[in-house]
Amino acid sequence: MSKKMEYDRKEYDVTRTMPGNWYLSSYKFRYSLDHLQPWFKKLKEKKLVGTQCRSCNTVFFPPRLVCGYCLVKPDLWVDVRETAQVATFNITYEKNPQTGEVVEKPVVCVRHDGTDTAFLAQLSPEINFRETYVGMPLKVKWRDEPEGNIGDLEYYEPLEDEAKDLRKEE
Amino acid sequence: MGRQVAIASAGFCEHAVRRSDVSMPEMVKEAIDDCLSKVPSVGIEDIDMFVNGNMPAFEGASIPELWMTDWMGARNKPLMRVTTGGTTGGTVAIAGYYSVAAGLPGVDTVLAVAFEQQSQGDTSVGLSSVALGELTAIQSIGMPLQKMKRLVSAGAAIGIAAYQATNYMRKSKITEEDLARVVVQNRRNAAKNWYTHLKMPNVTIEEVLDTPYISYPLRFGMVCPASDGCCAMLFTTEEKAKDMADIPVYVNGVASVANETGIMGYNAGGGGQLDPSEQLGAQRSAELAFDQAGISFPGKEIDYAEVYAPFPNQELMWVEKLGLFETNTAPEMYANGTTAANGEFPINTSGGVNSTNAIGASAMERPAEAALQIMGKAGNQVPKTVHTSLGHGWGGIINLITMMVMADEPKRKFK
Amino acid sequence: MDKVGIVGYYYMKMSPDLIYGRYNLIFETVRGALDSVNLKKKDITTVISATNDYYDGRTISNAYCVEPAGAYLADESKAEMDGAFAAQYGLMRILSGNHKLAVVWGGSTPSCYPYDSAQLYQTDPTFERPIALVNNITAGGFQMRAYMEKYGVSAEDIAKVAVKNRKNAAKNPLANPEAQNANITVDDVLKSDILSDPVTELMYAAPCDGLAAILLAPEKQALKITDEPVWIKGVGSNQDPYYLGDRDLSECKSMEMAAKMAFDGAGITAKDVDFAEIFEQYAHEELILAEAIGLAEKGKANELNSEINGDIPINPSGGAIAGHAPFATGLMRIIEAVKQLQGKADGYQVKDPKVAIATGQIGFCAQNNILYVLEKGGN
Repeated sequence: MSKKMEYDRKEYDVTRTMPGNWYLSSYKFRYSLDHLQPWFKKLKEKKLVGTQCRSCNTVFFPPRLVCGYCLVKPDLWVDVRETAQVATFNITYEKNPQTGEVVEKPVVCVRHDGTDTAFLAQLSPEINFRETYVGMPLKVKWRDEPEGNIGDLEYYEPLEDEAKDLRKEE
Repeated sequence: MGRQVAIASAGFCEHAVRRSDVSMPEMVKEAIDDCLSKVPSVGIEDIDMFVNGNMPAFEGASIPELWMTDWMGARNKPLMRVTTGGTTGGTVAIAGYYSVAAGLPGVDTVLAVAFEQQSQGDTSVGLSSVALGELTAIQSIGMPLQKMKRLVSAGAAIGIAAYQATNYMRKSKITEEDLARVVVQNRRNAAKNWYTHLKMPNVTIEEVLDTPYISYPLRFGMVCPASDGCCAMLFTTEEKAKDMADIPVYVNGVASVANETGIMGYNAGGGGQLDPSEQLGAQRSAELAFDQAGISFPGKEIDYAEVYAPFPNQELMWVEKLGLFETNTAPEMYANGTTAANGEFPINTSGGVNSTNAIGASAMERPAEAALQIMGKAGNQVPKTVHTSLGHGWGGIINLITMMVMADEPKRKFK
Repeated sequence: MDKVGIVGYYYMKMSPDLIYGRYNLIFETVRGALDSVNLKKKDITTVISATNDYYDGRTISNAYCVEPAGAYLADESKAEMDGAFAAQYGLMRILSGNHKLAVVWGGSTPSCYPYDSAQLYQTDPTFERPIALVNNITAGGFQMRAYMEKYGVSAEDIAKVAVKNRKNAAKNPLANPEAQNANITVDDVLKSDILSDPVTELMYAAPCDGLAAILLAPEKQALKITDEPVWIKGVGSNQDPYYLGDRDLSECKSMEMAAKMAFDGAGITAKDVDFAEIFEQYAHEELILAEAIGLAEKGKANELNSEINGDIPINPSGGAIAGHAPFATGLMRIIEAVKQLQGKADGYQVKDPKVAIATGQIGFCAQNNILYVLEKGGN
């Protein structure tokens, strides 16, 4: 099905090849997640919090280690609402290796109301993702029994967009 | 402090999907030979310092300069290696500029070389390693594996470009046809340039739109290839350049500005980037470079631009964000022929990154092509006389922008 | 060459395992350097990093470091060489007149990656890597043997260097605790495990975790930032051919040429140097490099009195043997030289120094070398 585009091609001789590998499994990647612990604790209580930089007032959600503008650690905890907006999105095409079937999946970045940063999230499976657009209002759907990790934000459900018709007229 | 820097020459090797006939050092040698062949009075012994770089993990060699010393002619000469991912070429060119501008004793002529032989290494391992550490961290905080897999496919360069594309398309209300038009212009230009990879003299918009999506709204036919290739540039002082080249090109402004690292940013942190098509880094680097070059009206004062656009939506976005066109007017300029080789403001007549992408070298090919257009030696020379040109690069994980502004006369001294 | 000052610096206590995440370490290092002279994020105009993709286990290893290193919307670049080369790039950027404050940082955490196999990726992939006989450690063995044979230097003489550096390290509070040993003897060094005959374990600068950062500023700004800047008077770098058979391993031609370039630029000779901070991967490299720099005649470096209170102190901080944090070691040599010139090296202070040299290197058997001439500024 995939149609190839032809181009003027020149072939070169093969002179030699050497096998090699990069053993990434022997690397240990180490991260400090201390700055996320209060966030996890609140997630378990179905509450959303973010950190605010005292210097520039940017609200980070999820909390980040460093404020890039000011090079300080944001350490002021603030409430974050459950409602959010689509900041940007794209649609990926996953090929099932067994059946060869291509599945379309949206990946969205959402920005919670009251925060200044976006993060990757999953949309409700009931949404027809072709209707996704930038600025679409959403609300968090919690996992039934939160465990205190990022999986507690199971997915995002759409809210009614009261300004949608106005936006189309523009 | 500082001194005027000039470009005396630039050279390339043939780019292809698989340069299996040469090893990495041999390929580098081809580009150096092409570069020096344009300045007959200069030999490899006249070069005082070497600057180079590539993306090491894509070729399976760490610091390859160490073992390619003799192929470059760098034996017992100073050598500096710089590399910043996708913009490696741009940073190498900028490092070449600074090596001359600094005026270190004994360093006048600098050869900058950027190369990439992707067919030698496992590009997918290289690419997945970009975020492997970050993804393990995200998994450790409870992200389900199924979701992670999707993040990986959305997190590579194409995913980032797709994010930029959706936001850009919303703002400027363009269609996929507008994107395909950019691709057609690039690929047809590439057919007229000797070293490029995807030469498609007769490609049409319909053909491009007939290919499947890779990541909405980008289709297979719109995406850059993976090439092997190398680019070399010769930087020197104003005085020496006048002896070396007929038309020396003066570098008047450079900048390489990074902004937000990643949309995810769970660990590293950041300033919070909501709109990937906003491009604060590009705006800031354009501001810095134009300020250094004494350019106040880039849209009027610049005659030719090479922008780093692996994906067509980026080409539209960059020309606006760099101040060359009014916001949201770029698609129109491509439709009415302003940006064609014989147009009023030619852009990417070399074929651009969209047709040839040897990652480490691409960002250097932009200033190199822009300089050759001023010299009148470019592969696909534009008919109009070019006085001022611009070479731009994009890379890093999301955003590191390199800029080099060149002209046929030295920078006007305001101070 | 115009005057450029080293105005601030920071490096954290080295350790075999620093435990914290990479971004915390970078943030702490860069913030520490800024705090040492009370500067803010918005004062930074350019940031140069020194990291390696194979050491960090990721492509574009500088990309996630933009924010923790203070490079957000600053002119950023990465030199994939030892930190001392990154400092050279920072210096060039200042000298060009485009920038007023450069942050140069470098370092890595070998506790998170296989250091020796990461080094193998530096070898020639066609001829040498499949055999894997040439690696960083065997290269050290070749070099030491060549030096001993040519000049008749004994293994004891070379062990003495390791003893001196490890004793100096014991006085340096920031050194790697594993390298600090005030009671070490020549016998201990010679009887330690053999890495690659004749190199023994205690002659080798074992990798450890560490990061370092320095701040560079032009003369005018430097004098406003601090009362005691240290000026970079000269810099020189040079690269030898790659294949070990192409060069005489008993000497170091690239360092000779780098030193000539730096001394010519500074207008001094090796005799004017008060002390040296040399980046030595192995104990014998300190002797070879000292000879190449011109501190001693060929084959006579072992006769120098290079103790802290000697005629020409070499590595009063303990050198790379006191802690070799890959890609930060060259920066640490510069920082240690700056500390001595400012009189802040508590416990291992050289008496009243005016002119110092600091070196950095990369590659097998010190293939690529860089040398700085530093001069005391202020009062």
